[in-house]
Amino acid sequence: MLYALAGTLEQGLLYALMALGVYLTFRVLNYADLTVDGSFTTGGAIAASIIFAGGSPWLATAAAVIGGLLAGLITGLLHTAFRITPLLSGILTMTALYSINLRILGRANVPLLRADTVISRFNSWLPLDNIYGASLLGLIIVLLAVSGLYIFLKTEIGLALQATGDNEQMIRAQGVNTNHMKLLGLALSNGLVAISGALVAQNQQFADAGMGIGMIVAGLASVIIGEALFGKRTLLQHIIAVVCGSIVYRAVLALVLRLGLAPTDFKLLTALIVVIALASPQVRTWLGLTKNSRKRGSFDA
Amino acid sequence: MLELIDICKVFDKNTVNEKVALDNVSLTLNNGDFVTMVGSNGAGKSTLLNAVAGMFPLDNGSIILNGNEITHLSEHQRAAMIGRVFQDPLTGTAAHMTVEENLVMAWKRGQRRRLRRAIRFQERAFFREQLAGLGLGLEDRLTTKVGLLSGGQRQALTLLMATMRRPQLLLLDEHIASLDPRTAEIVMDLTCRIVEEQQLTAIMVTHNLEQALSAGTRTVMMHEGRIVLDIQGLERRRMDVLDLMSLFEKNSGTKLSSDRVLLAAKA
Repeated sequence: MLYALAGTLEQGLLYALMALGVYLTFRVLNYADLTVDGSFTTGGAIAASIIFAGGSPWLATAAAVIGGLLAGLITGLLHTAFRITPLLSGILTMTALYSINLRILGRANVPLLRADTVISRFNSWLPLDNIYGASLLGLIIVLLAVSGLYIFLKTEIGLALQATGDNEQMIRAQGVNTNHMKLLGLALSNGLVAISGALVAQNQQFADAGMGIGMIVAGLASVIIGEALFGKRTLLQHIIAVVCGSIVYRAVLALVLRLGLAPTDFKLLTALIVVIALASPQVRTWLGLTKNSRKRGSFDA
Repeated sequence: MLELIDICKVFDKNTVNEKVALDNVSLTLNNGDFVTMVGSNGAGKSTLLNAVAGMFPLDNGSIILNGNEITHLSEHQRAAMIGRVFQDPLTGTAAHMTVEENLVMAWKRGQRRRLRRAIRFQERAFFREQLAGLGLGLEDRLTTKVGLLSGGQRQALTLLMATMRRPQLLLLDEHIASLDPRTAEIVMDLTCRIVEEQQLTAIMVTHNLEQALSAGTRTVMMHEGRIVLDIQGLERRRMDVLDLMSLFEKNSGTKLSSDRVLLAAKA
């Protein structure tokens, strides 16, 4: 039981970084970025191959972030420079990344068993053998990411980024190059996603080309669960809700696994969670349950 | 000084929908000119404003603002010099952000945006003072999300955002047309006061002929992408709405076709 709890917590926290990235594009920038499935794997693949080759795990994780930033930048350039729709530009990068990730890995699967990872390094600093080591490291990194994201979004540039997602015409009339803001947002988002991929790969002690499949939907599920359970009245509340949403999402998965569902059914379950969350406002209107007719957070992908 | 020299814009060129929106328009505004712009629907008024704001590239002609050629600058680059208020009150402000966040973004118009906290103590005091000047009680709602304000309040806020850092040119695109009459009057008074206080050069598109003559210092009428009337000074002061309409008919060879213009004329 304790192990299950520790496992859920560490997964929730490590994947929370990915959920924060998804939050940054889908919610803040209002940009449906599907690069995530690819950039998550890119993060894992870069970190794993550097560690496998004997490199420093910290350096490997940093290199993974740079890979993620670049992936986001490419999606952004496809959209801003060539006017490809957000959805398609993300899909194109994601597809291209699949081949690139295989190149980085050099084979289908890179094992990191007994390799020197950031998690094993961190554990070696802790007294005793601690099953919460990965969770603690995850918590520290998530806290850094949450505060960093919050502080950034409240800076002059951060406000311009938020406004780009809120009302592009308005912020352009205030002299902001919205294309630059989209590039910045997409790069940061995929940077976060790639750290998440790098840490997950080190925690599960392998990286493979398929580790990012369905990641975007998992991220969305975390964002939506977090918003529904923990609210989004202020920016800080919204960001923290996303992190908590990620933990709850992993807990739900662990629970249904215990109830006998096969791990291979996870993606179906995740998609169902997102569908239910997105469909509920519409179903409520069909049932005549909505209190007022005002449009509520409709979701545009 | 704003100079528009022979500007042309054709939409959907070489298609059945081809539409000459701006047909060799030339117009010179001296500093301090407050132009009210009227004309029937589709005359090119809003297109002219959007051309100056840089929302699309011109087919021909050039735009010079205070000696700087801005014809090829992008919309956000021109924004450093130009303040704008839109017809739709939702367009000029970011609904999910607070009043003070909207203001600080406008305060940075034309300035370098940095990685430092946007709103600090001194900004708050300054914004409160600016908002108090609007007389709408917004000074106590700095941290309210703009989406919760009324259309009139949002439009007044947009006006403040367009002018708190003095623009070289102010563009008002039917900015009171979608407000209720009482609110429209408040925002219009505010507009005249701000333009006068700051000695702004401004263009205001309106459908209300009466207002076109009562507000501003100069009236320009457009028809089918051309300027058909440009009056100021004594000539303008002597004119009433009926004179304006008959002059328009004489110069354009057609009757004013917009119902809104006629309704506004009767009112």
